[in-house]
Amino acid sequence: MWRLNAVRHKAGRQGSDLEEFKFKRREHEKELRRARKDSQLVSKRLLLNDDEEEDGTMDTLASDRVVELFNIVRHGRDLVKKEADLRALRKALRSPSAHLILIKQPNSIAILVTNLCGPNPQCRLEAARCLHELSHSPHSEVDSLRLRQATPYLITFLSGQSPKFTELCLYTLGNMCPDSENVRDMLLAQGIIPALNNCIQIHRTNLAVVEAVGFTLSQLISANYVTGTIIPAVLASGLIPRLLSVLTPDSQFGLGPVIECAWCLHYLACSNVDNGALVAQGTLLHCTSLLVTLGVAVAKGSIEEGIELLIWPLLRCVGNLLLSGPLGALQPQLNDSRLLAALCAFPQAFLQTHPALARESIWVLNNLTAAADSSVFCSALFYLNLVPALIQLLPFSHGINIMVLRVLGNIAHQGREYCLHLAQAGLLPALCATLKMADTEVVTFSLEVLGQLMASDPQLAEEFVRQSGLPVLEAIQYSNQETIRLRATHLLEHHLPPHCTVDTSASQ
Amino acid sequence: MLQPELIQLLTASDLVDLRIDAIPKLQVGFRPGCFFSSSRSQDGEAKLTFIPQQILLNKDHELFEDGDIHRHLYLQNLSTCPAYDSPTARQCEFRCYISGCSQVFSTVEDYEHHYNTLHRHVCSSCQRSLPSARLLDIHIQEWHDSLFSILAERQDMCLVEGCGSKFRTRDQRKDHMIKIHKYPSDFMFDKVKRIKNIKIAKKNMLQKGTSMEVSMSVSEPEGVCEVLSDQPEEEEYMEINHSLEPGILDPASNPINTVELSTDHDTAPILSVTIQPTTNQQRPQHNRERHSYRVPRTVCFGQGSVQGFRGHGRRI
Repeated sequence: MWRLNAVRHKAGRQGSDLEEFKFKRREHEKELRRARKDSQLVSKRLLLNDDEEEDGTMDTLASDRVVELFNIVRHGRDLVKKEADLRALRKALRSPSAHLILIKQPNSIAILVTNLCGPNPQCRLEAARCLHELSHSPHSEVDSLRLRQATPYLITFLSGQSPKFTELCLYTLGNMCPDSENVRDMLLAQGIIPALNNCIQIHRTNLAVVEAVGFTLSQLISANYVTGTIIPAVLASGLIPRLLSVLTPDSQFGLGPVIECAWCLHYLACSNVDNGALVAQGTLLHCTSLLVTLGVAVAKGSIEEGIELLIWPLLRCVGNLLLSGPLGALQPQLNDSRLLAALCAFPQAFLQTHPALARESIWVLNNLTAAADSSVFCSALFYLNLVPALIQLLPFSHGINIMVLRVLGNIAHQGREYCLHLAQAGLLPALCATLKMADTEVVTFSLEVLGQLMASDPQLAEEFVRQSGLPVLEAIQYSNQETIRLRATHLLEHHLPPHCTVDTSASQ
Repeated sequence: MLQPELIQLLTASDLVDLRIDAIPKLQVGFRPGCFFSSSRSQDGEAKLTFIPQQILLNKDHELFEDGDIHRHLYLQNLSTCPAYDSPTARQCEFRCYISGCSQVFSTVEDYEHHYNTLHRHVCSSCQRSLPSARLLDIHIQEWHDSLFSILAERQDMCLVEGCGSKFRTRDQRKDHMIKIHKYPSDFMFDKVKRIKNIKIAKKNMLQKGTSMEVSMSVSEPEGVCEVLSDQPEEEEYMEINHSLEPGILDPASNPINTVELSTDHDTAPILSVTIQPTTNQQRPQHNRERHSYRVPRTVCFGQGSVQGFRGHGRRI
């Protein structure tokens, strides 16, 4: 299981072990980033059995005996003994080198599959575990195509009743999904989606299985080139309402299942195949409600570990679904004003730990405020006095201040009243500061917002001058970046009151 | 970490009406004749180009990178670590925009201090920055005003704000300031900048005829120089030349005074700061016509750098 508290034992390392762990982790992170750039970001999960630790002692002696163990399994006739034999084989397979040996044995997979479908339930379990180990293999030779004999059975078993066995089958299939397009097509043809739908329905009270379904589905739909057939199949399958019904965090079980389902919804929404259908089935409503709940939890200070893993996909889902239609039509699903408060609270809470999350939160605000009929949301931001919270994010880089400036620009574009309110909230002095920043893009956006403010009402131009903004604009005229030079000059020439000259003697 | 108002909003009781459609909507739109339509300049080119835009992000967008990495670390059981070093939010840096001055600062106060010290109240003739507009005026008048220098009546103004007394000679002014305004006698009365080496300064003095540009306030060579402080080398970026006091050429001057004046002060001189150019800096010619000559047009090395004479002569 991946309940977050189950992994806590790793935190007990001390000293150099910890440093080494951190070093490995950093290296690993770099690898993941490289993989993502190549669109090869893939993860597999290994289900731990009760009788072993994840990186506990590997019986290396046993792994050398893989051939022998396999032959015992192959030739054994005694079913009772067979279970023990399979268990021994499975333990040997904890060592990745054993995988290569095993697949070279003739009919190795066929034998395992025979046991998978055999009459003895315990044998089935052990055979499934063997296949599961193989599905998680780091060796590229042990790929899903080799395991394809097993898939029809694995898929069939998804409609079975025993949770543990079903979970194993699910994670095995989930590990196979990212391997290649061929594998995915095959799984699709073999009916994996209706099977998943059935499975989540049967086991809806068993959250471990639900988490496994979520994982497998997310692996299926997050792969490359899935928009053609797989995603439309998922959208049509009736899975969506089932995923949505999971979106209530069960504090006893932890966040695992909700996290997986949320990531599924994100992958569906960002593929933009039929977001209207997603909205129609209530996705936006459920996601925003959950975000509000999480916002309330964050406000109360109860930030559970790993909660950002849930907030992230929800933000992305909502952000992308906002483009699925005119905002006015989506309004009923967005009627809780606390959503805006939550979107401002997340950056404050996560700025130091996860600045990218802060940025994505503001991105959602951008999508709420940039539409043709966003005036209701812009008004709400003032009514709830949320603009100062946004202005406070302006000093921060990482793309955060640029996104905030976009939101402020969106608001300013609504009209004069909005510009006046922005000035009241203290935007002009904040712009004086952002205009001095080193990042050209920040300065460009600041000039745009400033231009809009000053154009809407001469009072604001005067206020800007009172805030000693003129020398700042003049200084920008010396920049070697043409974009900001031109804009600064334009503002000085067109939007400042006529009595303001370039003469610096008046300013101190 | 969260502001109280936000906490209040989110934890408010259910009795409060939270519906967005219940919130009064502000009036949309601009006043007729609003300048926004003039975001296009006279030649029809749009200068301000921002328009509100909803942004769709697909799965592989770079904005999603950090979140994806976090997710996969979790999937691979690597996300739990007691001291998780994730990227933290950085504050933006500030940059000085004066052409050629590419200094970067981590706080806005640092930037403003830099700007105020080196780029405000700058005399465009000799690139010195004066502490206030008044002293800049006095400086220009005394050092670069050709008409002023031709007049027989020299009028050195008292440097103290509010005291309008004028004097015929520098020494008279100096005495006045010491006696009346109780200035210390080693105050930098004559706005000397640091010279390390008088001899080289003298040598450059002789080379003054080769100025590269003519500023508006330049006074003409030889005839004027020996009495007054004005030097035609404004365009020469070796600031030392300007330090040649009348005292140096003035036969009546006391050599001791000269030495005193030429003392290299490591702390900023009270009245002026000279600005040294980088050797490969192009002068921004295009700005000259647009702005008054007080606007800085040269580069600086920053306040702390050595501003003394470097010994290699002219600006390249």
